[in-house]
Amino acid sequence: MTVFAASINTTAVVVFAIILAITLGITYWASKRASSTAQFYAAGRGITGTQNGLAISGDYLSAASFLGIAGLIYLYGFDGFLYSIGFLVAFLTVMFLLAERMRNAGKYTIADVLAFRLRERPARVAAAIGTLNVAAFYLIAQMVGAGVLIEKLVGIDFTLSVLITGTFMLCYVVFGGMVATTWVQIVKAVLLMIGIVVMSIFVLNKVGFNPIELFNRAEAAGKAEESTFSLGPGTFLKNPIDTVSLGLALVLGTAGLPHILMRFFTVPNAKAARSSVVTAMFIIGFFYLLTTVIGFGARAILGQKGVEAAGKGGNLAAPNLAESLGGGAGTTGGDLFLAVIAGVAFATILAVVAGLVLSASSAVAHDIWSSIIRKGQNSDREEVMAAKIAALSIGAIAMVIAILGGEGLNVSFMVGLAFAIAASANFPALLLALTWRRFNTVGAVTGVLFGVVSALGLIIISPIVWGGPPGAPDTGAFTWYDLNNPGLISIPLGFLGCFLGTMLSTERETEHSYHELYVRSETGLGAERAVARS
Amino acid sequence: MAEPLAPKSDDQAARADDAPHQDIDWEAIEASPEFQELVHKRRSFVVPGTIFFLSWYMGFIVLAAYAEDFMSERVYQGLTVGYCLALTQFVMVLVLGIMYLRRADRVYDPLAAKAIERWTYLDTDAARARHVEERPVAITTSEVPGR
Repeated sequence: MTVFAASINTTAVVVFAIILAITLGITYWASKRASSTAQFYAAGRGITGTQNGLAISGDYLSAASFLGIAGLIYLYGFDGFLYSIGFLVAFLTVMFLLAERMRNAGKYTIADVLAFRLRERPARVAAAIGTLNVAAFYLIAQMVGAGVLIEKLVGIDFTLSVLITGTFMLCYVVFGGMVATTWVQIVKAVLLMIGIVVMSIFVLNKVGFNPIELFNRAEAAGKAEESTFSLGPGTFLKNPIDTVSLGLALVLGTAGLPHILMRFFTVPNAKAARSSVVTAMFIIGFFYLLTTVIGFGARAILGQKGVEAAGKGGNLAAPNLAESLGGGAGTTGGDLFLAVIAGVAFATILAVVAGLVLSASSAVAHDIWSSIIRKGQNSDREEVMAAKIAALSIGAIAMVIAILGGEGLNVSFMVGLAFAIAASANFPALLLALTWRRFNTVGAVTGVLFGVVSALGLIIISPIVWGGPPGAPDTGAFTWYDLNNPGLISIPLGFLGCFLGTMLSTERETEHSYHELYVRSETGLGAERAVARS
Repeated sequence: MAEPLAPKSDDQAARADDAPHQDIDWEAIEASPEFQELVHKRRSFVVPGTIFFLSWYMGFIVLAAYAEDFMSERVYQGLTVGYCLALTQFVMVLVLGIMYLRRADRVYDPLAAKAIERWTYLDTDAARARHVEERPVAITTSEVPGR
């Protein structure tokens, strides 16, 4: 095995080392306060609204957002931007329907909210299935993305890149729990914003800080032969009904992502929960506006001849643009700018995977181990230990799958699947548990199963799995079915499962337990408190 | 780490936080006019707000999917209708987000505080510890101040 590829970028290695040193310092500091479950899962509920807003941004803006969307905009123009709109508007769904209620009603996991009024064991199993499915697809996608990017940017072999990413991610989670994860996410959000703002200033400087001029130049460059770039829709997302399905999954999926919802358990109260959403909206909204500047800048500056170097999905368009803005390949400025942007991308991946592993391990330790296997008889210390073991196992499995699946796994397809499962399985059950008096255990279990099974089943028969190009209708083995994103069918099925399960079963006690959940979620009376710092 | 106020060896103590606060009369709070007003006011913003943002967003998505020519039309030089509509989504998110935040601070929080003020004394850390030690704590409604 060749550990090092031919050209290793030493500047990038130095930048990576600095980022790793900072995050390990945070982890060492946090490790002293990760001994209880409240600290390990929820950072003692002592994160402020602004800090949490930054951490949500750090948790949410994955490498798929930074490099993937900038790349799609570079290649296709408008259609790449469409993703960002869905990712952003989704925070209104989170804010209006779930953020404060989750904070008031939950403890450590989304299963806590269901178990509050439903029969505990089936409710927790159902929620854990939803959480683990979403986290698994999202995590493997991010690990593969990390491997590919680090391999290309730094010149380290794919397998080693995945191992490095996985090892550091596990360090943060196992030694530092939610405290370390939160601060790694905050540092990452700050680095990412600085990186994209500096890059945007460089790009805008070339067009006299006139955004319209940037549109004009990108369009002119996009008229080159074989270019797919367009300022209108339809160059990437070619199948209209599939576009609608994707749009729906994006706007509802965020409200079912366990690693995002878990962040609301880290703040002291509902007021901080909602202010953190608005902070995140500002950061994420600004970020997505700037990805357009990066994508258009790449189109105007790199042009059609940069397409090959940008790789599959255009993921390397942003780093290549950075190199060009710094002075070009081989120059000191070019190397440095490329290394910094690669380092930012690396920090981005680390922060997202740490959040995902933490949410998955909390589902295993808190919902399955403590509540179902040990029936609540175990100590707090044992649960933290179980969570750490779960994190190590989940991390190891994700690394193995990422390495075995290798670069062949389609990253954006897996992220889309994670959003579709989140929107179809987690979101309906959570929303109805909090707002529908009649909702019961059977409804929650059938809803989650309908959501997970239909989303997975439809993905398996989708054209993209059977070799059709993304967005092209009537391809693949099942020509009668041409949706690449299952949301349009699986989300209604998730709600239908909740409804049918509830109406066809006779369990009525859940209406009684609804009173407490309802009052608690609306007022915060009886909600979990922040714990004092030692 | 903060030590729990109740003895750890006790099985119930370890689960104290999970136990419903049985001495709080949740149904009475739910029936109170303050709570009803809170829920009504919140709902009268959130429900139309959700319908509006989902319609505006899905409308945009449907146009992007089915009305390519319209979305590609020029507004000014390289700026297309599609990008203008996309920018309205950004404005919508920030405006609705801030509107909700202000409303929650000014209207919902005071109403929520009013709805639960008779009961918050049962929701202090000391009361929680007592709740664990002497469960079941029988607090009759006559003991509740303000009744």
